[in-house]
Amino acid sequence: MNRTLSVKHLLGIKDLTKEDIELIFSQADEFKEVLNRPIKKVPSLRDVTIANLFFENSTRTRLSFELAEKRLSADIVNFSASTSSVKKGETLVDTVNNILAMKVDMVVMRHSAPGSCLFLSKHIDAAIVNAGDGTHEHPTQALLDAYSIREKLGSLKGKKVAIIGDITHSRVALSNIYCLKKLGAEVMVCGPSTMIPKHIQSLGVKVEHSLRNALEWCDVANMLRIQLERQEVSVPYFPSLREYSMQYGLTKEILEGLSKKVVVMHPGPINRGVEITSEVADHTQSIILEQVENGVAIRMAVIYLLAQTRRTEKEVV
Amino acid sequence: MKILLKSATIIDIHSTLHNKKRDILIDKGEIIKIGTNLIDAKAKEVKANSLCISPGWVDMKAKIPDPGFEYKDTVQSSLDAALKGGFKYVVAMPDTDPVIDNKSQVEYLLSRSKSHAVRILPSGALSQGMQGKLLAEMYDMHQHGAILFSDNKKSVGTEMMTRALEYAQNFNGLIGSFPFDTGVNPGGMVNESNISVQMGLKGLSSSSEEIRLQRDIELLKYTKGRMHVMLISTEGSVELIRKAKKAGLHITCGIAAHQLAFMDKDVADFDSNLKVLPPFRQSQDIKALIKGLKDGIIDVICSDHEPEDHEHKALEFEYANYGISSIQTAAHVAFSVLNKEMSVDQIVEKISTNPAKILGIEYPVVREGQKGPWTIFSLGTEQSFGISGWKSLSRNSPFIEKSFPIEVIS
Repeated sequence: MNRTLSVKHLLGIKDLTKEDIELIFSQADEFKEVLNRPIKKVPSLRDVTIANLFFENSTRTRLSFELAEKRLSADIVNFSASTSSVKKGETLVDTVNNILAMKVDMVVMRHSAPGSCLFLSKHIDAAIVNAGDGTHEHPTQALLDAYSIREKLGSLKGKKVAIIGDITHSRVALSNIYCLKKLGAEVMVCGPSTMIPKHIQSLGVKVEHSLRNALEWCDVANMLRIQLERQEVSVPYFPSLREYSMQYGLTKEILEGLSKKVVVMHPGPINRGVEITSEVADHTQSIILEQVENGVAIRMAVIYLLAQTRRTEKEVV
Repeated sequence: MKILLKSATIIDIHSTLHNKKRDILIDKGEIIKIGTNLIDAKAKEVKANSLCISPGWVDMKAKIPDPGFEYKDTVQSSLDAALKGGFKYVVAMPDTDPVIDNKSQVEYLLSRSKSHAVRILPSGALSQGMQGKLLAEMYDMHQHGAILFSDNKKSVGTEMMTRALEYAQNFNGLIGSFPFDTGVNPGGMVNESNISVQMGLKGLSSSSEEIRLQRDIELLKYTKGRMHVMLISTEGSVELIRKAKKAGLHITCGIAAHQLAFMDKDVADFDSNLKVLPPFRQSQDIKALIKGLKDGIIDVICSDHEPEDHEHKALEFEYANYGISSIQTAAHVAFSVLNKEMSVDQIVEKISTNPAKILGIEYPVVREGQKGPWTIFSLGTEQSFGISGWKSLSRNSPFIEKSFPIEVIS
């Protein structure tokens, strides 16, 4: 098996091959074993400096990346800023110049603007890991989701995955669709018709507006967070959280009333009682905490493999 | 200075020599003699493959952001760019700072361009400050040279549009409409399609254009005014205009030349130089636009010149301003895309006689004793513009260094 990725950056799942994804998974398997040792650390990236640039609030993803970087013994610098507090755009270009001066090898970036990681990759000589560029891609989340399904169900091939909730404003839906499809799963998106982008069928997914139908169809239900803060419109996409929950909230009764055992996922943070109830979040069919655990292993794998690619390139030069 | 065009094809539907090849002697812009085998020792001879002459081209929609945004383009730089692009008349949009909503602003533009070879035709705002609340003094602006009234790309409410269409009839004023309803797809910035889905961006549907166009057509029918729809981009819009024309309304319409050159899929890698409004659409839309041009449904090809400085364009796609600095290349792009689809005189009509007629300006006809301006070009030579030959102060263009099958000589 080829042990290098076909890409220099992880900008999105769209650019990855199936082999890339499988390589990341097998590398994550190794790191997951490391994470269960008493000393959870390897010296692989002692020569690598990573900048974590978070232009948007994120607790989990940032922690997960930081932990992954520390477990690999990389040097890290953290930068957080809100895009709203400074004049939009200027920050990124200015920050880019600062990063160049600091001679970092890799940048992990979260930013609200779709395409911003691609933009950055065109301006700086560092490997870029997209930690979510708005409603475009969030590749490590999609990888850890698929990895968690693989762990639970053995393989993705032929499995039916329903992504349920606010698809339009989700930072993970698109990456999830690409990743699952590349691994041979069938994908359905389900949610209010105001929150499903038109033309999404062009990605080869089914569209459903009934939660029950979606649940009866799927093996795995990925319940997305309702992003109330992303509704920058004068007429909101649904009247109230209460009514949303009435139609799309997953309760224990619904889950246990299904004809088969559906695996429940959630990328976090959960609005308990809105998209899923507490009972469902903590249910035996839920793999929400496994997702978090796997997130570190997946991010270690991605960072490690990109660093390898970068080293090889430098040697060639 | 005297020049002698050797064997130039005359492209001017109003000339008795339309599509004929002649030698033409021009002195300080005035046509002295038209004939064959002319010789004049004092004149500079101009020879070129497929040399052509037509009345000076008219760009019916350009943003000249002076005053207010002189770092993007000044009157001088805009007109220099226009001249390179073959345009001799430019309709300037009113969204300067301050807005062109009174006669002083109109006079400012006219005075700044007085000594230039390119004439500015100022347009005035419909509403005071382009705020959409009170009518601007359209009559006064009209008296001082404003030639069209619009709030450019700002959404105009139904009451304001109705009032403007009615009011402008007092002096046979022309209202410019930009059909774009922001309510259909709030936050949209690229064509709504599989591409917007892949980019994770909200899309702008064709409905967001066509709903507003239908409204404006309906208001035109009701008020019996005169309207020029400045930019359309969709197949459906072409059909709406076709029907409106058939119903006998005083309606004309235009497209930006670059609308023919790109599709939504070209924007997929977030190149902010391709962020335009209306957005680039799909192949069936471009086909319909070309058919509309051929059928005479679309009257005008304009530049929709929107210069943007580096700080407003070299940004994440979402934050970058809309627009292309296009006045230097619009005609070139039109010829490049359309040369296999339409005849030279059909293309030239869209950038000369048609806009001149819609605007009702005094316009030259190629004949002896007539003063210009003229546009002289060659269809047998290629031309491209590098940074050194780029006249606009803004470089937000996908056409820099691109080669075109036409050369503008003067």
